[in-house]
Amino acid sequence: MKIPRLLQAILVLAGVYGGFVLVFDVILEQVIPSSLLNMYMFFVVAGTYMVFTFNEESTEEIVAPIKALVEDPSKKMMRNVVFLVVPLFFGWFTFQQMKPSFEAPLELRTIHPAPPSAVKVYGKRYNLLTLENPFRKFEKEDPEKFAELVRQGGAVYIKNCQYCHGDKLDGKGPYAQGLNPVPLNFQDIGTIAQLQEAYLFWRITTGGPGLPKEATPWLSAMPVWENFLSEDEVWKVILFLYDYTGYSPRSWEHE
Amino acid sequence: MMTFKFIHGLVFLALMAGVFASGPSVAAPGDVENGEKIYMKRCVWCHGEEGEGDGPAGDLLVPPPRDFTSGLYKIKTSPFDEDFPNDDDIFRMISDGMPGTDMPAWKDILKNEQDRWDLVAYLKAFAELEEEPGTMVDYGAPVATSVESIAKGQKLFHDGERCSECHGQDGKGDGIKKLKGDNGERTWPRNLTKPWTFRASNDTKDIFTRISTGIPGTQMPSFANPKSKTMLSVEERWHVANYVNSLAKTDKTVRAVNTVVKANRIEGDVPSDPDDPAWDTAELTTFMMVPQIFEKERVFTYTNDTITVSAFYNDKEIAMLLEWDDRTRSIPGDPNIDKIADKVPYEDRVSVQLPVTIPEGTQKPYFINGDTENPVNLLSWRSGTATSPESVSVANATGSENIEERDAANFGLMAKSAYKDGTWRVVMKRPLSTENAQGDLQLVEGRFIPIAFANWDGSNSESGTKHSRTTWYWLLLKPANSAKPYILALIVAGIIFGGLLWWAKAARRNGEV
Repeated sequence: MKIPRLLQAILVLAGVYGGFVLVFDVILEQVIPSSLLNMYMFFVVAGTYMVFTFNEESTEEIVAPIKALVEDPSKKMMRNVVFLVVPLFFGWFTFQQMKPSFEAPLELRTIHPAPPSAVKVYGKRYNLLTLENPFRKFEKEDPEKFAELVRQGGAVYIKNCQYCHGDKLDGKGPYAQGLNPVPLNFQDIGTIAQLQEAYLFWRITTGGPGLPKEATPWLSAMPVWENFLSEDEVWKVILFLYDYTGYSPRSWEHE
Repeated sequence: MMTFKFIHGLVFLALMAGVFASGPSVAAPGDVENGEKIYMKRCVWCHGEEGEGDGPAGDLLVPPPRDFTSGLYKIKTSPFDEDFPNDDDIFRMISDGMPGTDMPAWKDILKNEQDRWDLVAYLKAFAELEEEPGTMVDYGAPVATSVESIAKGQKLFHDGERCSECHGQDGKGDGIKKLKGDNGERTWPRNLTKPWTFRASNDTKDIFTRISTGIPGTQMPSFANPKSKTMLSVEERWHVANYVNSLAKTDKTVRAVNTVVKANRIEGDVPSDPDDPAWDTAELTTFMMVPQIFEKERVFTYTNDTITVSAFYNDKEIAMLLEWDDRTRSIPGDPNIDKIADKVPYEDRVSVQLPVTIPEGTQKPYFINGDTENPVNLLSWRSGTATSPESVSVANATGSENIEERDAANFGLMAKSAYKDGTWRVVMKRPLSTENAQGDLQLVEGRFIPIAFANWDGSNSESGTKHSRTTWYWLLLKPANSAKPYILALIVAGIIFGGLLWWAKAARRNGEV
């Protein structure tokens, strides 16, 4: 049996909407803000409209049932129902839009902003394009020394970072729940695995206040670690982050 | 009703039967070598290489990491006269972690159960534990929770101050007995109204187990010990467990979606006394607080993790009720406070932080005391000392090092507090608008205004940068209901209905032609 085109379009829209809700609200348990959902659905509706009215024939197929509903005298009963339901729906929709909202405003932010080309910390200027972890070379040259450096980095981590980023480096430390934005999850393949060590050096040493505006520096609870840790300690903790999670930093060489 | 209760009881019994029938499992013998490997990667940081709880972070954590060489574990199911836990108990702590501590649940990283059993074997080796006790607390016939059972439990809880001696009249852990752990460290009894801090869980069965076996290494005794004057029968312990479970303050738990303090508009005066019955109708919002570990000087040991806020406003003023649990009413110089606190160097304090101007875009002041371009107002209340009454203060800040005190009376800030059974309740009142429109936030109806809170426990030596705080949330003066949305909805529905009629009419006319 062929599904009428109009019904097809409606099914597509309902399917996409249901899909968003299923994926975000149910599976990921991250309730999707209604303003964002509305924005997505606007594009989905526009796209569906374009696909379903691609040529005259398909337009005709879509419009025909609507036209019949209005013009065909035999569909009077159906028409009465639709004429009642459609205005009520739009009235309800208007009310929903106009009633005062007590839902907090949505704040979008960039999680991995583009780094500056250079950063000034410890009274020095570091070129982030060429900056490398001075301890990284021991991974091949002197594995024993490297293991010791990682161990020292772990000690720095556990004394300073685990409160927010967690013992498991999963961004779920004991205080994570009280912070917004939430601390970064280093176990996630989308975080340190995609970054260079120089980027981490920039993010750790200058902390939240060192972020560019698009990344809401006023909200980030990441301390300015230049004030607490030495340069060596920062490099060691970076070694630890990669060693513990089993990821490798990205580097210019591999690309 | 009868049937519902009956079915409820049946389900409860069936569940319990399932749980109890399992008993201590016969664990697969752990591979100590593999356990050591995992331990050295995952556990050594807090628990130390020799398992003495002295890893690099050891002395920064409260409670401190477990010293495995003693073989004692706080959370165990073996009876009170067995010093050591069952293997299952250790396995559970590794798998599920301990809420309210730094110990996370490892089951999502150590997905393989055998790995966790291997760890159990390794941990036991630190104390040379061999056979597990293999016996469990006698659970008897579990008593399902009910109004009657809770009432019985409440009576037993307070009888001869059995539990309230330490846990306080309302269970907030504010009893006057000073407690010490086995290593001489000061410990505080659990605030039983905060179930998210229970090291195991606040399931009735877990509570029953704690009451029955006590908490080794602490002064929490076993109430199953026949030698004890305060001993309780199995049934009585179920009643107490049901009562303790009922103490959870469900209206004051953190809900991640609640980020807005909603001030309701009222006619007449806003309530200025914390005991005003008007507060019973307020909307409560509870925020999580974290210790200030972001700027110098940091504090790692804090005593209070939540603050509950509600508010009312009228044409002229806003009143905000701030509530938080604090075991100590810190009044420096007050001899009564010495009974519970070790020392009281500072007053208790709470601060409300607001931006000086409502941000137009997304940019806000830095969440800790603002920044040079974006100043904040800090409205504070202090608990007073033996020689001076409670007080308010107003300051403007552009960063933690630039806090400028101002005249609070001129600003119009007023506060009144009440302390009872381990809870501070402070009402802060201020005018919506002040004379100094440049330096003070002017509160406006219907706008989302950033707001943050900070709290100091004077008995915990908190002052200045050493405090706990929230990040930015929102304050909303909820506008009174208006007819506008209804009218607009009617107009839109009318226009569309008219349009449809016109279309149908036009179509009919065409058809006739």
